[in-house]
Amino acid sequence: MTELAYPLAVMLFPGGLFAIALGLALKGADRRLAARLQGRVGPPLMQPFYDLVKLARKRTMAPDIAALPVFLGAPLVGAISMMLGAAMVPIPGVYAPDPILGDLLVLLYLLAVPAVVLMVAGSASGSPFGAIGFSREMALMLAYEGPLVLVVAAVALRTGSFSLADIVAYQQAHGSFLFDPVMWPALAAFIAFYPANLGIVPFDIPEAETEVLEGPLLEYSGPALGLFKLMSALKAVVVLSLGIALFFPLAPEGLPGLVAHLAKLLVLMLLGVTVVRVSMGRMRIDQAFFFFLKWPLVLSVLSLAAVALA
Amino acid sequence: MTILQTLTEKARNIAVRSPWIYRINAGSCNGCDVECATTALIPRYDVERLGCQYCGSPRHADIVLITGPLTARIKDDVLRVFAEIPDPKVTVAVGVCPISGGIFRESYAVHAPIDQYLPVDVNVPGCPPRPQAIIEGVAQAIAIWRERI
Amino acid sequence: MNFLKIFARNLINGPATTPFPFGPAWTPERLRGRIQFKLPSCTGCRACEQVCAPGAIRFDKTPEGLRFMMWHNTCVFCGLCEFYCPTDAITNSDDWHMAHASGEKFGMAIREVIPYVACAGCGNKTLSSAPNPVGVEPPFTAAEIEQHRNLCPACRKKALAERGAAS
Repeated sequence: MTELAYPLAVMLFPGGLFAIALGLALKGADRRLAARLQGRVGPPLMQPFYDLVKLARKRTMAPDIAALPVFLGAPLVGAISMMLGAAMVPIPGVYAPDPILGDLLVLLYLLAVPAVVLMVAGSASGSPFGAIGFSREMALMLAYEGPLVLVVAAVALRTGSFSLADIVAYQQAHGSFLFDPVMWPALAAFIAFYPANLGIVPFDIPEAETEVLEGPLLEYSGPALGLFKLMSALKAVVVLSLGIALFFPLAPEGLPGLVAHLAKLLVLMLLGVTVVRVSMGRMRIDQAFFFFLKWPLVLSVLSLAAVALA
Repeated sequence: MTILQTLTEKARNIAVRSPWIYRINAGSCNGCDVECATTALIPRYDVERLGCQYCGSPRHADIVLITGPLTARIKDDVLRVFAEIPDPKVTVAVGVCPISGGIFRESYAVHAPIDQYLPVDVNVPGCPPRPQAIIEGVAQAIAIWRERI
Repeated sequence: MNFLKIFARNLINGPATTPFPFGPAWTPERLRGRIQFKLPSCTGCRACEQVCAPGAIRFDKTPEGLRFMMWHNTCVFCGLCEFYCPTDAITNSDDWHMAHASGEKFGMAIREVIPYVACAGCGNKTLSSAPNPVGVEPPFTAAEIEQHRNLCPACRKKALAERGAAS
């Protein structure tokens, strides 16, 4: 039974099908609210599902100069990594991931995989826009990985463990970090970090449609593009769930806990992603790079120092 | 019908709700391009209700909007970009310029009508056509695309 | 913080999208749309052919008469033909629903023929076009238009002169 639990966790709940459905539903809600905020009607809530079905029915074309195994394998690796990541993030009150699946350090590495996959896809496609997307994604990733690692280190230092289940248990015993003044710099650094990781305006520079013609995704079509859209939806679920687990995991047990988790995800998505994306313009890559080197990095170092001294 | 046919039919019914639009400017004066842009950006003529989305890459496109008479300067590039768009696709000629050359019909620099080089499915006359007329043309194109997807 | 006010306004007022294509679309009154041609009013002066900017209007002499041909797929809806026409033969309606499948593109045309008739005055072959009303005082009545329609240009000159002498 226990051996069966891990593949089920990855493929059904909370990874796999559950995470895919959740991620696409969140994206649909995001697009709908973005349209309403702009005074338009917007697509139906199930639109991302329709997009994926449509992409599955088209064919994937690859350029002649592309490195074909990497070109086709990259989106597959990205989607699988995020499905695994979704199985590693706890749903407070409902699901505590078994440490054998992985802990916070493994999740950090898995979170880096989609960005690396995007870079590799950009360079494997052989187009100059892909190369620009590759270099910009690399610069952005260098900028935002630093604050992320320091924030994770601060939280781990505070709770004394790298296991996400332990972090959740610590907060359930001692009060969530959202209300803990020592952890507020870490919270601020995380809030600055996640728009860049999710690839939303103002930091969606590598995938900008109007500037680099969608950068790494330029040459993709059909099911390969569908896998990239899936990866992006799953990454939203993983990163937002990680934020909830790190800072505000208090929830009742059982089904109300699941409902609370979904509600938190929806609120985080709508307030933290949609409103941000609709109200801002895109930054330039050098502006984004130096922004991350200034405030989020300083805040995350501050949080590490605060936790070490407390 | 077999299970596979039923599933394929259901998949087609779902897939038809997400046509992605790509604009090709084949030497247009930009009048029709402005009207195309208003269908997406201005809240009044929101084309995203139909599930459409303007995409930045020809590889992602399902419905192609072509504006402009095919000027001699851009002809080879337009034909190259059109070849990059994966099938199944539906082509809509927006404005009278791609259909017949419009007001530039007798110019030496213009290779209209465009359907001697690429297959066109729907025509939307007008100079420029109203955004509502473009949405009507896109709706007809979606009906044609339903048969092809 | 202006954008927050805009968000609040958009959320409270609801979307500003017109219901087309799921409902009717508003059309301004003077929209220059599809061309309408009234054959009984055409004088055959061919002014519209001369001023048509993209050359969408063409007149041909056929054995049956003078054929008017106009193709919507090259019309730019400028309204010059309506402006220069001496009667109300060619007008812009406000119909803009012209999207069609590419196979029917040559069907978006108007083809009418002003027929040849025998002149009621002298019996020569003449076009039965409406008389040109520009500069005629007092203006033609409907009966006079029908009377002048079947006269050749020479007989029309005579009839017009008699009319002017009588009034």
